[in-house]
Amino acid sequence: MISTIRRSLLPEKHSAAGSWRTWRWYLGNYAFILPFLILFAIFILRPILASLQMSFFRWEIFGPKPFIGFDNYDELLNDDLWWVALQNTVYFAFLTSALLTTVPIFIAIALNLPFRGRNVFRTLFFFPYVLSASVVGLVMRWLLGQQFGIVNYLLGIVGIGPIPFIADSDLVIPSLSVITLWWAFGFPMLIYLAGLSNIPQDIYEAARIDGARGWQMTRYITIPLLRPIILFVAVTQLISHFQVFAQPYVITNGGPAQDSFTVIFYMFRAAWTYFRMGFGTAMAVLLAVIIMAFTLLQFRFGGRRLEY
Amino acid sequence: MQGEAQPPRLTDTSAQISRIALYVLLILLAIAILFPFYWMVATSLKTNPEAFYYPPDFYPPQPTLEHYEIIMTRDDINVPRWGWNSLVIAVATTVVTLFVTSLAAYGFARLDFPFKNLIFIVVIFTLMIPSQIYMIPNYLLVRDLGWLDTYHAVIWPAAPNVFGLFLLRQFFSTFPRELEEAATVDGASRIRIYWQLMIPVNRNALIALGIFVFLHSWNDLFWPLIVLSRVENRTLPVGLAVLAGAYGAGDSFSEPALIMAASSMSSIPVLIVYVIFQRRITQSFMLTGMGGR
Repeated sequence: MISTIRRSLLPEKHSAAGSWRTWRWYLGNYAFILPFLILFAIFILRPILASLQMSFFRWEIFGPKPFIGFDNYDELLNDDLWWVALQNTVYFAFLTSALLTTVPIFIAIALNLPFRGRNVFRTLFFFPYVLSASVVGLVMRWLLGQQFGIVNYLLGIVGIGPIPFIADSDLVIPSLSVITLWWAFGFPMLIYLAGLSNIPQDIYEAARIDGARGWQMTRYITIPLLRPIILFVAVTQLISHFQVFAQPYVITNGGPAQDSFTVIFYMFRAAWTYFRMGFGTAMAVLLAVIIMAFTLLQFRFGGRRLEY
Repeated sequence: MQGEAQPPRLTDTSAQISRIALYVLLILLAIAILFPFYWMVATSLKTNPEAFYYPPDFYPPQPTLEHYEIIMTRDDINVPRWGWNSLVIAVATTVVTLFVTSLAAYGFARLDFPFKNLIFIVVIFTLMIPSQIYMIPNYLLVRDLGWLDTYHAVIWPAAPNVFGLFLLRQFFSTFPRELEEAATVDGASRIRIYWQLMIPVNRNALIALGIFVFLHSWNDLFWPLIVLSRVENRTLPVGLAVLAGAYGAGDSFSEPALIMAASSMSSIPVLIVYVIFQRRITQSFMLTGMGGR
């Protein structure tokens, strides 16, 4: 019986008679991964290598495509707009990630308390996340306008404003961050809720016997125990918001002036407005290097497991 | 959402006050979530001049469906057509991704072949690289294939989902080997083990990944914006984003009621589906969220 299993699950290695069968067996196994591998090679592996290569060429849709060494990178380093876009991207990514890492913790803690209707709130709070950035962008743009926006009307009633949320060069990035918070906080909220449900209740019982009260428990038990998840959320948010494109594209079109240009927005302009593909790939490569550095951070933190 | 583990109880004397404060805060937050939707729908039912009234009317004085009628008839703002494109693309992407990814996940989790670990490491390594780096070369390839302005351009590049492969492989690996061996003894082939054992046993993971892939595809903007340029081929996010530019005026719109009608029409189906499947959808994001982006 055992030998039947062996033969069917594992090929007989090193046997001359079995070597053809071994290879047929392996080919059958390769067939399972082959469709994925072909698509992976065409649409992921090839373009990564092609981007690296193209970034060393003057690659425009029409005309000759000469090798130009590091000229694209050289041009970027001397390009004011690149530095503006990078600065905006870093500002947006850090601010948005800080908001999306901290605010949902408190919402999740509140929604983890036992009270009637908490599932209704959970459902409601996650909902904006399933909308597309385009819908969110159009609606927010209509709400936040300086002259006709309802938010400024309401602020005017209490004597504030009008505030040019998305038309002011200093306010535009914070406004896009808060819009993104509104849109996306449901996702980290769910992750924190999953983390909270894994904290054993006897820890709270023990603390209560020792005299700890609500806020103390949050400060000294819940948040320290959530620490690995908080780090995980912070790094994954940072990586994803470095790639911001839709918010400036739909809400501000990079403006006012170039105050909400981001790296990917600039890459989009370079490649699909001016058809400078080589220049665009150089931007993508530089952004990839930055993001990979943060991903390595994630692997460092992600590797740790939590012990209670 | 999660098991019925009992969270910390509010038993203090101040519990009542805390409870009221909690409700007040949550209700304020709920208003902040809901009001933009209300305002979107309310604006869509006004006329364009009414939308600019000052002070604004909090509800449409004479609700009108004229903008919804315009959307049904005009070609440059064809929301139903865009919705159909989005649906076809998202469904096809989900089906192809689940099939291709689960086959490979079974291969990497359970089958043996030369260079398996090397191939897996190369595949997983690309998770570290942001997807924008694929865009320009993939655009040129799709153009050379003659796929611009076709569904193929959006579906196939999304099919090799490395994160999904990683996720499913984790699930397939935890399936007890003894059961698989028992099936082998009974004469089941690899493909039958995959189809009749692995797929049904892990259906919750597959559904979770499916919802995740579907929503990603449904909401994606950057890639479809690049490869779908003709009006009738756009997906909803692309169509709406282009409207934002075409009808944009400073930080406002030239025809806000029309734009809000288009936004309402494209988000109300999502709202209905979300309300019906909210438990599955939130579970899906908890499951996939802990594993990656």
